[in-house]
This record gives sequence, structure tokens and C-alpha cells, in this order.
Amino acid sequence: MSKFPRLAISAVLALSLFPATAFAAGDAVNGEKLFKRCATCHTIGEGAKHKVGPQLNDVIGRVAGSAEGYSYSKAMVAVGKAGTIWSVTTLDAYLTKPKDFVKGTKMAFAGLAKESERTDIIAYLRGFSKAGEIAAPASAAAVPDAPATTDRAGAPQQAMVAAAKDSPLPTHGVFHLGRLATPAEIAAWDIDVRPDGLGLPEGKGTAAQGEVIFGERCASCHGDFGEGRDRWPVLAGGLDTLTSERPNKTIGSYWPYLSTVYDYVRRAMPFGDARSLTNDEVYAITAYLLYLNEVVDDENFELSKENFTSIHLPNEQNFIVDDRNDEAHNANRGEPCMTACKPAPAQVVKRAQVLDVTPDSDQAEQAGGAVE
Amino acid sequence: MSNGSIGDMREFERTARAATAIQPSRRQLLTAGLATGFGAAFAGIVTRPAAADDPAIIEVQDWNRMLGDGVDARPYGSPSKFESGVVRRNVPWLTADPVSSVNFTPLHELDGIITPNGLCFERHHAGIAEIDPAQHRLMISGLVDNPLVFTMADIKRFPRENRAYFLECAANSGMEWRGAQLNGCQFTHGMVHCVVYTGIRLRTLLEEAGIKPSGTWLLAEGADASAMTRSIPMEKALDDCMVAFRMNGEALRPEQGYPLRLVVPGWEGNMWVKWLRRLEVGDMPWQQREETSKYTDLLANGKARRFTWLMDVKSVVTSPSPQAPVGHGRGPMVITGLAWSGNGTIKRVDVSLDGGRNWRTARLDGPSLSKALHRFYLDIDWDGSELFLQSRAMDEAGFVQPTKDELRAARGENSIYHNNGIQTWQVRADGVVENVEVS
Repeated sequence: MSKFPRLAISAVLALSLFPATAFAAGDAVNGEKLFKRCATCHTIGEGAKHKVGPQLNDVIGRVAGSAEGYSYSKAMVAVGKAGTIWSVTTLDAYLTKPKDFVKGTKMAFAGLAKESERTDIIAYLRGFSKAGEIAAPASAAAVPDAPATTDRAGAPQQAMVAAAKDSPLPTHGVFHLGRLATPAEIAAWDIDVRPDGLGLPEGKGTAAQGEVIFGERCASCHGDFGEGRDRWPVLAGGLDTLTSERPNKTIGSYWPYLSTVYDYVRRAMPFGDARSLTNDEVYAITAYLLYLNEVVDDENFELSKENFTSIHLPNEQNFIVDDRNDEAHNANRGEPCMTACKPAPAQVVKRAQVLDVTPDSDQAEQAGGAVE
Repeated sequence: MSNGSIGDMREFERTARAATAIQPSRRQLLTAGLATGFGAAFAGIVTRPAAADDPAIIEVQDWNRMLGDGVDARPYGSPSKFESGVVRRNVPWLTADPVSSVNFTPLHELDGIITPNGLCFERHHAGIAEIDPAQHRLMISGLVDNPLVFTMADIKRFPRENRAYFLECAANSGMEWRGAQLNGCQFTHGMVHCVVYTGIRLRTLLEEAGIKPSGTWLLAEGADASAMTRSIPMEKALDDCMVAFRMNGEALRPEQGYPLRLVVPGWEGNMWVKWLRRLEVGDMPWQQREETSKYTDLLANGKARRFTWLMDVKSVVTSPSPQAPVGHGRGPMVITGLAWSGNGTIKRVDVSLDGGRNWRTARLDGPSLSKALHRFYLDIDWDGSELFLQSRAMDEAGFVQPTKDELRAARGENSIYHNNGIQTWQVRADGVVENVEVS
């Protein structure tokens, strides 16, 4: 027992005194000799190819199990995906006893017990890795003097991350850019609701409850009964007006799906205070809009996640696919007429000045016909 | 409004007021007693008097004598003060609130095919989101192998491309369905612009996350207070869509979606989600507000087309036009305009001087890029008589721009969107131009 504390102290001393220099001081010449034991399976240097083991150019800085074209063990790929990158430190640990560091690795080599041999081999490998010079922990000391990169001064900027060459690479995709989204992040932004009910949150609310909320939060623009004030959207009424000269397109008369109401109110309403309604409040407002549009006739009607998809809006069936190409002027594509295309000289039949609603003109403010 | 001379004068003065860039020269010319320029056109005088000594030449001008601003005065340059009338304009009565509204590109003052960044029309649904790029994230979620989050720094590490595309609001010319209404191509056609985008292929981003085989639709979502959303079929998403962070070489303008927007070439502008923060892969469309309640095209029979994404072949004469009246007498006149199509390139533009009775093929000049604006010119020798100017574009797919009557016959007058009908400008002998429809 008595000698353990002493050993521990010397280990701490060694780490604190030598980490940078110890790794840097490996003897690459000796490492080259030692590498002959590895060369049975690995190649390195110009023209190196995968053999029994992967080629080892640029191994420092490489994500474990990621050399293109080499068939790794599942274990090695998994270790890489978990974030292991070959550096002086990780290679040292691996070479000490490969099967301990990566359980299931294909590498049959038992390991190098002698630290100096490991250090020398790693020094040799570093000579073939672009990341070699910076991979040692000592390089981190270069960071503090770097100027702030956000000041956007005209002078050339120092590197943002001195140890970029040693930074971890994710394994997803082609470019390994970005990072995995967390479940909480996905949930925070994924508030869309589809007609089949996908995305509906738990909750419920009655039309009567919705009337109160609507009066407080919505009626200042949309009117107490969804009739719309000024030029704000009309939300109710307009049934059977779609073929009239001035259609009144409301939730009841035009919108195909109720899910759109829930989705839109939750994401964008009230105007200027979006995302302030609770899920139950949105259910209640949606129920009230159904009531205003006479889709339901009981003000105690309660809308919930459970009964939501059973509600259908009257105009759902009146939406059709884009068939513009079937229109006569599109279907008959050909050389257009160039001469004498009309029997008589053109006569003016409509004038903008009759309406005179162009901005800067006096009558513009009183004109009708809002765009949506 | 009367057609008499008082009405004409009022109309002329109003038009001249709108075209403020012309005012100094007009005042100068009148002061000098020269009966040319606007004065000549207005007075109907088409011959040039013998040249008097021009004070612009005879007198030493201030700018010829005194020093101007140094290089520190304008670190980000602006147009000449004499171009101060070249601005986006709003039509106040169109919408309930300027925060959820639209303004219009001054097409009548521009040339070439590229729209300056500060003049690209704006349409937002909850105002301009001012986003710190360091706090902006783009998330890809849904039916993907790896849901991912990207910072702007991540985005800028993917291989880039540069493409010029027009962006047209589906409601462009939407006020003209029932007949000529707004007097100026800025207002009738100004919900279009064309810039060079720098960004990355949307396909590249989606493949980084890995689309599952069932992923056939994409929902794009903005980070603004409307959290704008649109469903996009995966086929288009994997074709030519981009995620862009620059326009005309510089960062996107805030009103155009800084720091990141979707580019959906040839398709209606509403789908080009600004302030893009999320792409969700799914197996059916989401039926969002902007693809059900809005951006669906009501027909006369009460049915409504949905998912009318493509912007049809279209053109307009930008000058002369009501805000760009003819300021000279008879003789050489440059008729110019823009043409574009969501199907690709413009094959040909014909121009009529007589309201569509006879046509001449115009000259396309400048780059002819797929799904970008094309510039056309017809250089004529004007005899000073009344003109009914029209332009008619044909695209590479063979589609020919229809007349407004053809569109109304097919759809009625309440479609709002996708009005690509042929525009008519009446050019009067006095140079004044009006938006009309002709028999």
C-alpha cells in the first residue's frame, strides 16, 4: 500500500511537467524502425493503400473508423461515431492495448507495453499527418492572444480555433457538418399540424370558452363575430358566395381543413403576440370559430385532440389539382399570330384613370378591392 | 376623370411628380427657354429649335469647380440624390397594416436583368425579422436518418453555387383581374425581382441528414413572427432549390430573409421562405394557411386550384409606362421591358404598337438565364401618334403569354393569383402613358 501514493504523485508530476514536451519529443527515427512491426498490415507515406489494416497517412485528426474505402469492424465505426478522433492521446491509449480501447477491433496486434515505443511510433505517424504538428495538447496555448473575430475590423483575422485541425468531426452525411438535433430542440420548433391530426397537442376547449378568449385576444382585428374590422380578415360567414361576383372567403366558406386553423392560430396569432396562447386556448378559439361558422351549433361543444379529425369543413371537396395547362390558351401552344390579328383597330375599353386608385392620387384612399 | 386638357394637365403633373428624377432637367430646360424635353412633349412640339447656348455648358458648374466628398464620406454607397424617386412604393389601401403588406419594385426606373438589393419588392407577413446570424439555426427534422442543426458557420462550409433567378409573388398583377386599375408598372407588375443568389443546393443539405424513402414532402418554415410555412414536393426540393445567404454578392437584406432564405426557382415567391429556420421532411403536404386559405386560385365555378406553384410565362413593357412617360418628340424611341417564365428561358418577345393587331419581334439583350428575368428592347422611329403598347412572351417550353380576356374566360375574375395576361399601355401624342385595356 505504501508505495501507491508515491507512484500517484510522480504520475501527476509527470503529466503536469511533460505532457506537451513528452509527446513532442518522441523519436521518429526509432519510430520508423518500430513501425516495421506494423507494416505487415499497414502502409504509410506516398502511395499508401489499405491492406489488412487501413493506410495511416493523416491518421492524426481522423475520426476513428472513417478512412474511406476501408472495411472496419463495427466496433471501430461505433467508437468513431461516439466521437473518438485519433490524436496523440487516443492513439497512445489504443496502442497500449488495442482490444481494451476498442472492444471488437479487427487489429490483431496485442499492444506496446513500453511507453517510449508508443511515443516513438506516434512521433513517426505524426510525420505523415497534416494535423500532426498541432495535435499535441501544447498548441492550445496559442489561443488566448487571438483577437475577437466578431469585430469585423478590416485587418486580417487570426484563426478562430487554433486547434481546428484537431477538432472533432461528426460522422453523419457527406460533409459531416452540423450536429444532431436533440429531441427537446425538435419539439420546440415542430408545432405544425396536418389534416390527419399529426402534430396535434394534448388539450381541449369549448366554443363558449373560446368566445371569451376571442373577445380579448382576436376581436380587435377580426370583430366579435369574425366579421373583420377595417381590412383585417373576415373569419366567418360567406357561405355560398364563392361563385358570386365578390366571394367572401372565410374559414367556413372556403378553408378546406380545420387543422390549418389550429396550426395557424398557434404559430402566428394573435398578430404581434405570436406563440402566446396555450394549447387549450387554441382549441377553444378553434371551437369558437367552428361555432361562428355554424359547423357546430352548440356553444358547449368541446374540441379536443381526440375528436379533432372528425370535424370537416364544408368546402373541403372543392379544391382541385393545378390544371392550368389544360386551359385553351395553354393547350394550343403554337406560333402566335403576327399580323392583322384583330379585325379592327384597338379601342380602349377599360382605363386605370376611371378608378384612379394609384398611390399619390386623391381617390386612392377610398378605393376598394384589397389583395390577400 | 375628364379627358379634357385640364385633366390631362393634372395627370401629367402627377406623373411628373412621381418621376422626380426628371424634374431638375425639366425645370432647367424650361428656365433656359428651351422647348425640348418634357416641355416639348407636353406642348406637342416635335421639331427642335436652333440650338441656343446651353448654360449646362456655358456656365462653370459647381461640381466642375469644387471638391466633392472624400472616400470616408460614403462607406456604404447610395444612389445619386437625383435618383431619390427610385424607391419601392406601397399601395396603402391593399392591406390592413403595413407590417403585413407588400411594396413594389420600381421596374420603370430599372434596366438590365438584375434588381438592386435595396429595390427588391418586399412582402412580409409579420414585419422584418432582425436576426443575429450568430443566433440563427437551421434544423432539418422529420423523416430523416439524422435530424440535424446547422449554424450559419456550418452552412457556409458546404460547396456553394451562384444562380440568377426571378422571384415573383403569385399575386403580382392580382389587382388587374377586373380591368385596368393601377397606373404604373411598378404597381401592376412590381412584385418581381431578379438577383444572383449565393448559397448551397437544398439537396446537399437534405442528403447530409439523409431522407428516408417515405419522405416525399418538405415543410419549410421561417423564424419570423408569422413562422411562415409552405409544403414543397420533394422532387422540386431535390431539383434546383437553394438555401441562399447572399444576394448580388452581399449578405441577404433583412427584408429578404437575412441571414438565410429558401430559393425555389420559377415557383411563386411565397414558397421562398425567408429567415429560414426549419426543414421538416414528411410524407404528405401540411395544408398550411398559405397553401389553402391563400395562394389557391378560385375559379368562376366555385372550385379552387391548389398547389399552383409555377409562375407562368409573362412580360411587361417597363418604359414607356405610366410612371415613365415619353419625354421627347417624334424620332428614336426605346421601348423596353422584362420577360420571364417559371418554365426556363424566354425564347422570344413580341411587341405590338397597336394593341395586339400587329406584332414585331423584340430584341433580347443581356444574359438569357433559365428562370431569370430577360430584358427586351424594341427600338422604333416614333411618328408621334398614339400607341397601344403590348408585349407577349414565349418561353422555351412553347407557352405563349395569354391575353387578359383569355385568362378571364378560363378562370373568371376572382383568382387573385397567377395573372400573367398581356398588359396594354396607351401612349398619347403628348407622351402621357396610361394603363388601359383594349378591344
